[in-house]
Amino acid sequence: MALRYEYTVETEDLAKYYRMGNYIVKALDGVNLKIRRGEYVSIMGPSGAGKTTLFNMIGGLDRPTRGKVYIDEVDISKLDAYELAWLRARKIGYIFQTFNLIPVLTALENVMLPMIFAGVRREERIRKARELLERVGLGDMLYHSPTELSGGQQQRVAIARALANDPAIVLADEPTGNLDLQTGLEIINLLRQLNKERGVTIVTATHDLKMIDVSDRIVYLRDGKVERIETRAEIAVEAEEY
Amino acid sequence: MGTWEIGEIRFPLSEAFYISVQNVRRRFARVAITTASVTLGIAFFVSLMMMASFQAQAGGAGIQPYMYWLLFISLLVCGVGITNSMLIAVAERYKEIGTYKCLGALDRHILELFLIEALLIGGIGGFTGYVAGLIAALVYAVANPAVGMANALKALAAPNPAVPLVGVMPVALGLLLLGVGIAVFLSLAATLYPAYYAARLNPADALRYEV
Repeated sequence: MALRYEYTVETEDLAKYYRMGNYIVKALDGVNLKIRRGEYVSIMGPSGAGKTTLFNMIGGLDRPTRGKVYIDEVDISKLDAYELAWLRARKIGYIFQTFNLIPVLTALENVMLPMIFAGVRREERIRKARELLERVGLGDMLYHSPTELSGGQQQRVAIARALANDPAIVLADEPTGNLDLQTGLEIINLLRQLNKERGVTIVTATHDLKMIDVSDRIVYLRDGKVERIETRAEIAVEAEEY
Repeated sequence: MGTWEIGEIRFPLSEAFYISVQNVRRRFARVAITTASVTLGIAFFVSLMMMASFQAQAGGAGIQPYMYWLLFISLLVCGVGITNSMLIAVAERYKEIGTYKCLGALDRHILELFLIEALLIGGIGGFTGYVAGLIAALVYAVANPAVGMANALKALAAPNPAVPLVGVMPVALGLLLLGVGIAVFLSLAATLYPAYYAARLNPADALRYEV
């Protein structure tokens, strides 16, 4: 698996329409996007701009109406249910606004779960889950259940879980949306550190402006279309002008 | 077209069983309600059959045809009760189901989790129902001078051909097997549809559910 792909994510004329009674809502309408390996990209835009829909399409959670999504150069719209499940387990890590930990399992068990699906041996699962939880600063809370953890701690467990199978890409949908300012900032910094450390591509859908500081590029979505894309260098220049 | 290989997805039964047991333990209040409806149905069934067997032993009328009708209706009501609480149990976990799918679960793994849970609920409910029914029947025997404890114990140890399906076994054992069997069957049947529906949800739709 030493193959290196230049682009982790590529979308081609990606569109998703929903039927709402008599009219059609174009949640995404022809999105072309290329995300390089190891990049930290934020997708910004007002509510209803199509951020979550894009997240679902890239994550293989829903099928597009038109267009293509490539993950590591494979067109995932051609995959069947089994192949998609494998893709979700091995290639993609998910982080949600509402954390979505399995409430009946401990922190350690939550991080081990994706490794069960990937067929990792039990001892290795425990070792790796412990290591990841230590990395996100929860080394002494391995056996806590999600209800015993604060929002920020739950999101840290979710981050550890997302990284369990060394995915090519971590998708985070509003990861700071349910957190206070300071905790949100800590989560953003943690994501950025992990991105640097592990070279994992991170794509976040967000309207948290704190995310701008750490992103390599920012994609602005509006009405299901890419309005503009800015790199960090450009943003820095803009900031100097004011 | 592909440049990487799709590998295998696994979910050993032991892991599914462990998670289902955790589900039962950690959601005790909800599970207790579902289990109670199984327990009541089976307790009614077991006590009725036992009381009739005790009467027969004491020279009375024994199991009457109308009792089968009574049993059928009571188990039907019990089945509707389980289906109702299973529908809610599944609905409140849509988001969790979406999460499992994000982590790599296949439809059948979701189905497995719910069916093991139903098996546990049916097994526990069936057994507690049997015990409750047995106690009720013994209380009836002691309170009723025409029957008495001696007849009750004799009846429990002997087969009663009028008991459906397990007429060849001693009543105490036969009703235990039949009671647990019916409970597990009802519980599985009631869970199958909601679990199947939930398992087939597209992960994006499952995640969207807010409860």
